[in-house]
Amino acid sequence: MDAISQPELERIERAGGADLVVGILDPEPDDQAGAAVAMVREALTELSADLSRVSRVVVLCNNGTHAPVATAPHLDSADGRGQSPAVFIYNLPAPGPAETSEPSMSHAYRSVFAVGGKLGVRACGVIASELRAVTPQWIYRLIQPVLELEFDLVAPRYTRHKMQGLLNRSVLSPLHRALYGEQLHNPVGPDFGLSGKLLHRALGQDAGSPRRTESDPVVSIAPTAACGGFRVCESHLGARTQPPTDWMNLSSLLATVLGPYFIEMERQAAFWQRIRGSIAVPGFGLSEAASEDSGPVDVRRMIESFQLGAQNLQDVWGLILPPLTLLELRKLSRLPQDQFRMPDDLWVRIVYDFALGHRLRTISRDHLLRSITPLYLGWIASYALEMESAGPADIEARIERLARAYEAGKPYLVSRWRWPDRFNP
Amino acid sequence: MWDQVGQALSQSMNRMLSQMASLLPGVVALIAALLVSTLVAWVLAAILGRSLTSIDFDRRVAQWGFPALAEWSPAKSPTLLATRAIAWTAMLIGFLIGISAFDVALTSQFVLRLFAYLPNVLAAVVVLAAGSIVARFLARSVLIGAVNMNLQYARLLSAGVKWLVTVLAVAMALEHLSVGGGIIRLAFGILFGGIVLALALAVGLGSKELVSRSLDREASKTSSQHTQEPVGHL
Repeated sequence: MDAISQPELERIERAGGADLVVGILDPEPDDQAGAAVAMVREALTELSADLSRVSRVVVLCNNGTHAPVATAPHLDSADGRGQSPAVFIYNLPAPGPAETSEPSMSHAYRSVFAVGGKLGVRACGVIASELRAVTPQWIYRLIQPVLELEFDLVAPRYTRHKMQGLLNRSVLSPLHRALYGEQLHNPVGPDFGLSGKLLHRALGQDAGSPRRTESDPVVSIAPTAACGGFRVCESHLGARTQPPTDWMNLSSLLATVLGPYFIEMERQAAFWQRIRGSIAVPGFGLSEAASEDSGPVDVRRMIESFQLGAQNLQDVWGLILPPLTLLELRKLSRLPQDQFRMPDDLWVRIVYDFALGHRLRTISRDHLLRSITPLYLGWIASYALEMESAGPADIEARIERLARAYEAGKPYLVSRWRWPDRFNP
Repeated sequence: MWDQVGQALSQSMNRMLSQMASLLPGVVALIAALLVSTLVAWVLAAILGRSLTSIDFDRRVAQWGFPALAEWSPAKSPTLLATRAIAWTAMLIGFLIGISAFDVALTSQFVLRLFAYLPNVLAAVVVLAAGSIVARFLARSVLIGAVNMNLQYARLLSAGVKWLVTVLAVAMALEHLSVGGGIIRLAFGILFGGIVLALALAVGLGSKELVSRSLDREASKTSSQHTQEPVGHL
């Protein structure tokens, strides 16, 4: 866990501590060694006028070697009292041998948070997106609202075309909005700016709990901020590069993202049951126009997957979903492609019932999370058909309509959450 | 001589009567044990029935992944099945206690052998229960995985896995019960080996083209989706 050894920490503390910690979590390709550090330096230098109060910065990089011991710190300004801040550079610690990419990412977040917490920094920036699209402006936009405007959480807002960020659009963002009352477009980041206060809260909530019950830091940041009454805003970062979808492992992706989110939902149940409605959060930066869409999507296979699920997974879905929902799904599976539309209230009830099933452990959690895949593909197909020739404004309106459906369906979730055994047709 | 015959008959009758009289306490004990065990069985069944009804056991059993249990149960109620099982177990124990009250070597031996066999029965029940749970879990895993991979024969695969594990569990349970012995082992070996061989032949020879076409189709599906569809999830 320790990215920086105790003597090194003491050395930084003797030099006056650090104001800012920046974690660059995406491993750098071999041919771009040092690019992350150069980017952070550029960001700090270019923006030194705004960040003049920052004198010492710790940068934690994932340089691909996963060297467990810190490299020798590089000091731009030995005494740290110059205009350009002193920058201490370290490597992130290596993940455990059994850790796959997702736990390894959580591990990296925890390392950055732990260093920030130990040094008592005022702000912390985490960049977990692929470095190819990241610019120094990203770091500035995530950190500036924390340092200058005293926000506690800066969530990212990316420029996307209509078929990107679909899990965010269909589940994470509207669910976060309905549960916690904050209209965040990317509640699970993965790039964030945090204040020292929020960092301490995030570190404190897992203190003393065993490793297996620790919350996922990526997923828990936004709910923790909402539940703790922290000031939250969004910053437009621009377009984000993502690896192509691995369709064969879509169910693993859903399980990896939704599982921790549902666990966090369970942890914060006492809070979100009291929330009604939602408010827009302040936004910074200018939104860029999305690049041209690369044509219509072939939804036929998605609908086939949905139909196959409707044929074969009735027994599994029957343990999670009420009979009326099953009936509607069966009807939907018989519709021809041109009429294939999944109503928002149906999708919302599906997500809520899966969250409840996850909480009640109706079936194995892994089975539950993986069995949502055909339903999710059904939603994507329906959305793609509906938005085939839609412009950006139509897409925004469509997503807003879905978010409102989540809010309208919240009493259903609260009722089922409180009285799961009550008759539900 | 008639005196001697009469004496012999009288002695034999005395012996018979005294032996019958010596059995009488055992019979009374057996009846008492049966009556007490019936009472205990009734009380236990009532308590268990009420407890299971209060936790809505019938619905929960289906939720836990054992909907088939309701099919096997009397009146399709797993609660009734559990209460009857506990009642009959209590009565069986009462009967065995009653039997052992007879001071007869044969019954004692019978009871001893029965009790010695009980661990085997328990082990077999545990193996069957564990096998059933594992079979159901694996079948569901395969079903969900296969559906997510767009395999049309997902249900068939799932059923195959379920029956393979169930057959394995039954064979192990019979082994524990010492029923069938070598025949079971041989039959299981032939059955299991046969299934594996059939699958190997299907993939390797008979359905070579079908399987390769199917795999090609799946691969092309995913690769075409990769290249053509600009879909991102996070």
